Amino acid sequence: MTMIDVASLGKAKPSYIRKSMYGPATATGLPAMRAADLPGMVGLPVAALFPDIPKAIYVEGDDLTPIRKATEAALVNCDMSKIKPNSSVNILTSQYGFMIMGGFAYREVVRSIKEVVEQRTGCRNIRLRIATGFRLKEPQEVIEHYGLAEMFDGKVSPALYVDRAVAIDTAIGKLMGIRKIYDADYIIHVHHGELRELDMHRMISRTMKPFSMSYARFETRSVHHMNFGPRSSNLIPRLIFESPFVQEKFTFGCFMAASPQGVTGIEAGNDLMPIDRRLMLLAFKSYGKIRELYNEIKDCVVIMDGTGEPRYMVGGGTTFGNLLEAELDLFDLDAVPISLGFGLYQPPPNQPKLKAVNPAIRAMVMNHFWTGVPHLELATAAPMFLVGNEMQKLVKEDCMNIEMSKHVVTAESLPAAVKFAKRVANTENVIVFDGAYGAITCSEALADHLIKRAPAVSERVEKELMPKWLRQRGLDPAEAL
Amino acid sequence: MVQINYRAEVIPEACTGCVDCVFVCPTLAITMENRKAVIDESKCVACQNCQGVCDDDAIVKVERAEPVERGIDYKSVDQDRILEICKRANIHPSQWLCLCTATRAREGVAAILKGATTPEEMALATGTRSGCTVYCAMMSMRLLKAAGVNLPPNFKWHLFDTTQTLWDVPKDVIEKYSDYFLEEDKDVFRKF
Repeated sequence: MTMIDVASLGKAKPSYIRKSMYGPATATGLPAMRAADLPGMVGLPVAALFPDIPKAIYVEGDDLTPIRKATEAALVNCDMSKIKPNSSVNILTSQYGFMIMGGFAYREVVRSIKEVVEQRTGCRNIRLRIATGFRLKEPQEVIEHYGLAEMFDGKVSPALYVDRAVAIDTAIGKLMGIRKIYDADYIIHVHHGELRELDMHRMISRTMKPFSMSYARFETRSVHHMNFGPRSSNLIPRLIFESPFVQEKFTFGCFMAASPQGVTGIEAGNDLMPIDRRLMLLAFKSYGKIRELYNEIKDCVVIMDGTGEPRYMVGGGTTFGNLLEAELDLFDLDAVPISLGFGLYQPPPNQPKLKAVNPAIRAMVMNHFWTGVPHLELATAAPMFLVGNEMQKLVKEDCMNIEMSKHVVTAESLPAAVKFAKRVANTENVIVFDGAYGAITCSEALADHLIKRAPAVSERVEKELMPKWLRQRGLDPAEAL
Repeated sequence: MVQINYRAEVIPEACTGCVDCVFVCPTLAITMENRKAVIDESKCVACQNCQGVCDDDAIVKVERAEPVERGIDYKSVDQDRILEICKRANIHPSQWLCLCTATRAREGVAAILKGATTPEEMALATGTRSGCTVYCAMMSMRLLKAAGVNLPPNFKWHLFDTTQTLWDVPKDVIEKYSDYFLEEDKDVFRKF
C-alpha cells in the first residue's frame, strides 16, 4: 500500500455544533474557535488508512436522499400487518441518534419510517417518543431544533427516566419501563448501529440495549449498569425485549448503521437477532482497526470540540470512549471486563478505577462539550485545560462531576490551552474529537505516526484479532467475512 | 465528602401545581403548599431532576450562600459490620456506590449503621443521588435490604424496588442464555 504524504492532507471538517443549555453559555452558544482551525491541524482520511472500512452512503452535509431510499428499501421486507388504520403507534428514538453527524440523517430515517408506515397501513396515529440519557431537557431541545412537532402534528413527547412507570414482567422479575414509551398499541424501535460505548455493550445484544436504557426508568438502568457485569448486563435488555409485554407491542426495528466513514446503510426487520449479528460484523469491520490504531498512540493531547458529552464525542468517526479504553481490547470477550459496578478490576492492594483511562492521554483540552454524564476520571487521570470562563462555569455547576472543578485549570483561548497542554504532555501529537466522520482531525505529527502504524494494525486485526472475535461469538471466520 | 454548592428554587408565579417535581426528587425535599411546589432547602441536593421535568420552567438552580457538605466517615462505624452487610449484598466495600460523588459502598453501609432506613436518608447522609440520581439508586436499596431494613412502600412513581442482581438470576435463565457470561461475570465478582 502506498503511504500517504502528510503534506498532502487537507484541512479537517469538524461537525456542526448544536447549541444547548447543557453546553457553555458563550454569546453564540458555540466556541470562539474550532480545533480544526488551529495551525498544523489536518484531516487524515480514514479510508486512506484502511481502505476496507465499509463505505458511507451519507456523510454530514450530503443530500439526504440516499438515507431515505435506504430506509424505504430496508422496510420493504418488514411485516407491518399488526398495525391497523385505527392503531396507535409509538416510534421510539434515542437522543444520541440526533448527535450523529448533525442529526439530520437520523431525522430522515424517522421521517421515512413514519411516511412508509402511514402509506402501508393507513394508520395516522403515529407518535414520536424521544428518550434521553441524563439531560432531561434535551429531548425538548431536539424536538424544537429538528422541527419534530411539525413532522408529527404535535404528537411528540420526551420520555424521561424519571417519568411515570410501567412494570414489565421478565424472566428475572419486574423491571421498569417508561410509560410514555409503551403507551401505544404498537412500538417501532429506531436506533443506530454506531459503536458508541463498547465498554458497556461489548457487541452483545447491541440492537436491544435501549430496552434497558433509553426506554427504561432509572431503576432498571441502575440494575443494568451496577448489578451485573459488563457482559452479563446485556441480558437485561434481551429479557425486557423478549417479555410478553414488549413482544405484544413490538412491530419492527430499524437501525442507522455506521462506520467511521459515515452512515453505511439502514437495517430493518421484525426479528432483531439477525440484525444484531449483521451489526456485530459491521462493528468488527468498521471499528476493529481504528480501535487498534488508537492503541498505537503512545502519547497525545486530546481536544474535545463537539456536541455532547466527552465519552460519546466522535473523532475520526469513532467515539472518544474508544480512545479512552484503547489499551483494552473490548471486542475480546475474554478480556478483563470493566463495568460501572465494580470498576476495572485490579488485584489488591490496588483499588478499582472509576473507569479506565488510557495512559496515552497525557492532557485534555475542553474547547466545547456538554455536561450530562459522570466523567470525573478524565480530570483526575490527566491534566485538563478548560477553554474560557463559560466552560469553567459549566464545569463548576455540573452536578454529575461535583469534584471536577478542583482538578482543572482554565485558559483564555483554545490556542493558549493547546500550547500549554502540549508542554505539559511533552508531545506534538494532538487528536480532536469534533464530531467528524471520514477523517481524523489531528496534528501533522500524529497523522504521520498513524499513517506509519496503520499497515501493521491492519495485518494484526485481520490475522489475529478478527478471527478471535468471531470465534468467541460462535462464528467461523472463513464464512463470516 | 460531597460539597453541594447549589439548590433548586421555585418561581411561584410560574408553578402550575402539576406535582411532577415532587416524585422525581431523590430526597423527597419537595412538597405542595397551596398548589405550589415548595422545596425544603435543607434536603435539596441540587440534582436538577425537578428542574429537568418542569415543563413550566418554574424551577431554577441557584447558588447557595454557604455550600453544604454531605458525607460520612466509614471508619467511624464497626468495620466488621460493614464487611458483613456488604457480603450479604454481594458488594465489595470499596465498590462504587455513586460515580458522580465518588462514594463507595462502605460509606453507604456506614450511613445505614448510623440510622439511615430509607434510600432518601442514605442520600442525605452520604451525598449520593446529588448527580445523575440513577446509578446509585439500586445499590442503595441492595445495601438497605442486606442490612435487614424493611423498605417503605412505594410512593407513586418516586422509586420502585427492583433490585435484581447477577446473583438472583434463576438457573434455567442462566442455562438458556449461556452466551451472556453470567457465571463468568460471577467469577469476576468473586475474585474482586
